[in-house]
Amino acid sequence: MKPAMTETVLHTDFAGRRWRLFWLAFRTGLFTILTLGIYRFWMRTRLRRLYWSAVRPGGHPLEYVGAPLEKLLGFLVAVVVLAFYIGIVNLLLMFASFSIFEGASVVYGASFLGVIPLWIFARYRARRYILARTRWRVVRFGLAPGAWGYAWRAILHWLITILTLGLLWPRMTFWLEKYSTDRSYFGTQRFAQGGRWTMLWRATLHVWIPLLLAAGLGLALLAEMPTAAATLDDPYTDAVVDLPLPLDQRLLFFIPLSLWALYGIVHYRVRSFEILTRHKSLGGVSLAAEPNPRRVLWIGLSGYLLVLLAIALPVTPLIGALVFVEVSQMVPGDALDVPRWALAAAAAVLYFLIFLMWSTLTHVFVTLPLTRHYATRFTVQNADALSRIDQRARDEFAEAEGFADALDVGAAI
Amino acid sequence: MTTRIEIGREPARYDSAATFFDGNAPLPVPARLSIDEEAEMLVIAPEGRAPQRWPLSEIRRVPDQAGGDLLVVRLRGDPVARLIVEDHVLIARCPHIDRRPPVQNRWKLAGWAVAAVASVALIITVLVPAMADQLARYIPPEGERALGETTLTQIREAMDETGMDPIATCEAPAGRAALDRMTARFHAVMPADQPLTVLVLDHPMINAFALPGGYVVFFRGLIDTAETPEEVAAVLAHEIGHVVSRDPTRHALRSAGSIGVLGLLFGDFAGGTVVLFLAERLIEAQYSQQAEIDADAFAYDALTRADLPPAALATMFERLREEGGEPPAILSHFMSHPELTERITAAERASPEGLETRPVLDDAEWAALQAICD
Repeated sequence: MKPAMTETVLHTDFAGRRWRLFWLAFRTGLFTILTLGIYRFWMRTRLRRLYWSAVRPGGHPLEYVGAPLEKLLGFLVAVVVLAFYIGIVNLLLMFASFSIFEGASVVYGASFLGVIPLWIFARYRARRYILARTRWRVVRFGLAPGAWGYAWRAILHWLITILTLGLLWPRMTFWLEKYSTDRSYFGTQRFAQGGRWTMLWRATLHVWIPLLLAAGLGLALLAEMPTAAATLDDPYTDAVVDLPLPLDQRLLFFIPLSLWALYGIVHYRVRSFEILTRHKSLGGVSLAAEPNPRRVLWIGLSGYLLVLLAIALPVTPLIGALVFVEVSQMVPGDALDVPRWALAAAAAVLYFLIFLMWSTLTHVFVTLPLTRHYATRFTVQNADALSRIDQRARDEFAEAEGFADALDVGAAI
Repeated sequence: MTTRIEIGREPARYDSAATFFDGNAPLPVPARLSIDEEAEMLVIAPEGRAPQRWPLSEIRRVPDQAGGDLLVVRLRGDPVARLIVEDHVLIARCPHIDRRPPVQNRWKLAGWAVAAVASVALIITVLVPAMADQLARYIPPEGERALGETTLTQIREAMDETGMDPIATCEAPAGRAALDRMTARFHAVMPADQPLTVLVLDHPMINAFALPGGYVVFFRGLIDTAETPEEVAAVLAHEIGHVVSRDPTRHALRSAGSIGVLGLLFGDFAGGTVVLFLAERLIEAQYSQQAEIDADAFAYDALTRADLPPAALATMFERLREEGGEPPAILSHFMSHPELTERITAAERASPEGLETRPVLDDAEWAALQAICD
C-alpha cells in the first residue's frame, strides 16, 4: 500500500460562507422561537455540522455527529436531576436570606455561588460530549471522564487566583487546560500538554501595565487632592491655582487605560491559546496556532458594531411606529383605534425579531470570521505520525450536554 | 431532476475520483468510483485495497456540509466509513440519499420526557408549596417585612410603562389621614403584633393585593371605581385576612422555588428572562380557593365587629365583575376566581340581622381619599 500522506505539515482551510450560515441560523432560530425553545437541539446540531465541516485541516473536513434527540434526552435527564436541586435550594436560600439578612441580595449571591461548581462540572461534561461527537478523517476524538476532578480543581484555582489578585491567573489557565488536554484523545492516541505555567506570564503584561498605570495615576490624584483643596482655600493666596492639569481632565487618562486593559484581556486569551497549543502533542504529532490578538479584537469590535447597525437600521423605524401608535391611543378621539392586544402582539413580535436578528447576525459577523481566523492559522506538524493512530470506541454518554444546556453554560454554538 | 446524459439506451458510464476513509485509521485513501448498473451498486476501488460495493439505495449524504464543493456520503448501517466526492453527479444516482436515520431510543426518550414533566410538576405543585407553607411559619417578622418591601419595589418598577421611575405611591395628606382612619377601624380585629401598612399606588388598574410583612396595596383604579368608602373598607378587610393568615409570604416563597425550575426548562431560549417572566405570570399560583374563602370569612367577621356592612364586599365584587370587560382587570385575583357568584351570595348573607352600622368615613374624608393621588 502506498502511503497516502506525503506532506508533513497540514494547513487548515476554511470553507464557511456567510449566506449559507445566515440562512441556516435564521431558519433554525425562527423554528426555535416558534417551538418555545424545543427546536434548539436541532438548531445547535445543524449549526455545529456546518461549522465543523467548514474547518478542514489538511483539506479534510471535521465532522460533527451529535444527534438532536440525544441532546433532548440529555436535557430531560438534567431537568429531572436539577429541578429538585434548584427548586429546593432556591426556596431555602430565599428563606434564609430574608430570615437572617433581611434582604434579597444575599439570595442572588448565594444562589449564584451555589451554581458555580455545577456550572464548571457541566462545562467539562459538555466538552466531553462535543469531543466525543467530533471526528476528523473519520477518527473520533474523546475526553476521559473527570468532571468532578475538574470542578474542584477549578474552584481551588479560582480561589488562589482571587487571593493573589490575579497574579496566579496564568497558573490556573495552564493547569486547567493541562487537566483537560491530558484526558483528551484523538483515536487511540492521547494528547499531552507540555510546558510550564510560567510561559504564560508574559502574555498577561498587557493587562498588568495599564492596571498598574491606572493605580499609579489614581494614587497620584488622591495624594494631590488635599493639597489642591488647601491651595484653593488659602485666603492669603489670590494667585491662580497652578495645578499642572485640572483634575477632571486627567481623569480622561483612565479611558485609554481601560481600553488598553480590555485589549490586554483579549491579548492574553489569544496568546495563551497560541502558547498552549504549541506545547500540545499527539504522539509524534505536534500542533501550532498563530492567531493574531489585534485581529481577533478587531473582528470582535467591528463584528458587533455591524450587527448593531444591521439591526438598528430596520428596527428603529419599527419601534418608532409602535411608540407612535401607542401614544396616539392616549389621545382621546383619535382616529387610530388599535386594540391593546394587537399592540402587545406587535411589541412581542418585534422583541423576538430583534432577538432572532441578533443571534443570527452574531453568527455571520462574529463567530464565522473568528472561526475562520483561528482555523486558517492552525497547522498540524509532523502529520506522518498520524498513521500510528487507530479508531476509538464510541462514547455513548447518554446525558450529552444536558447539564450545560439546562444551566445555560454560555456556549455560542 | 437527473444529471444523467442518455446516449441511446446506454447511460453515461459513471467514473469519478474520491477520497475513501475506512473508519479505522485517519488515512485518506484515493479511490476510483464506478457504478455497477446491473446490481445498482457503487463500486469503490481504493488504491492498494480490495474494492468495496455500496448499494446505491443505501447511500446517505452527511448533511449540512459547508462550502458546497465536497459531497460527503456514508453507507447506511456503517457509522464510521466515509467517502468524500468532489463532484455531485452521484446525488442523482442514489434514490434515498437524503433519507433520515430512524429515531433510536424512542421509548427511553418518551420515558425521560414523562419523568422530566412529572418531576417539574411535582416539585412546583407539591414539594415547593408544602415547604413554603412550613417555612412561612418560621420566617421572623423583620425578614417578612424585608421580603414585602423588595416585592413592592419590584412590582412598582415592573408596572411602570414609561421606563423611568417606579409608579408613585399616593400621599396627599388629607387622603392619607382618611385612609389611616379607615385602617384604624380594624385595629381591634388584628393580632397584637401584626404590623399593617396600607398604600395606594397611582395606577388605573382596579385591584388590590397584600404583600408579606403586613402590606396592603390599593391601585388608584379601585378607589375610583368604588362608590362608597364601605366598599373600599370591605376590600381592605379581605386583604387584611390574607395578611393575618400569611398567604403573601407563602406565595412569595413558592414563586422563589418555582421560578428557578422554570428557568431550567426554557434554557437560553429567546433571552430567557422575558420568557421566564411571562411563564411565571401564566402559572402564577393564585391563592388557593380555600385561602380566598378564609379571607372572605375573616372580612365578614372583621367588618361586622367594626360596625361595617359585610354586604359591601358583595357590592365591590359585582362592580369588579362589571368592569371585567377591561383586560387589565382580568389580572386581578378577584376576577379570575371562578366562584365569584357564590362569594357574592355569601357576602350578602353575611350581614347579621339588625346590624347597626356606623359610616367608615364622612363625606369630606371620602372625598379626600378619592383625591389621594391628586
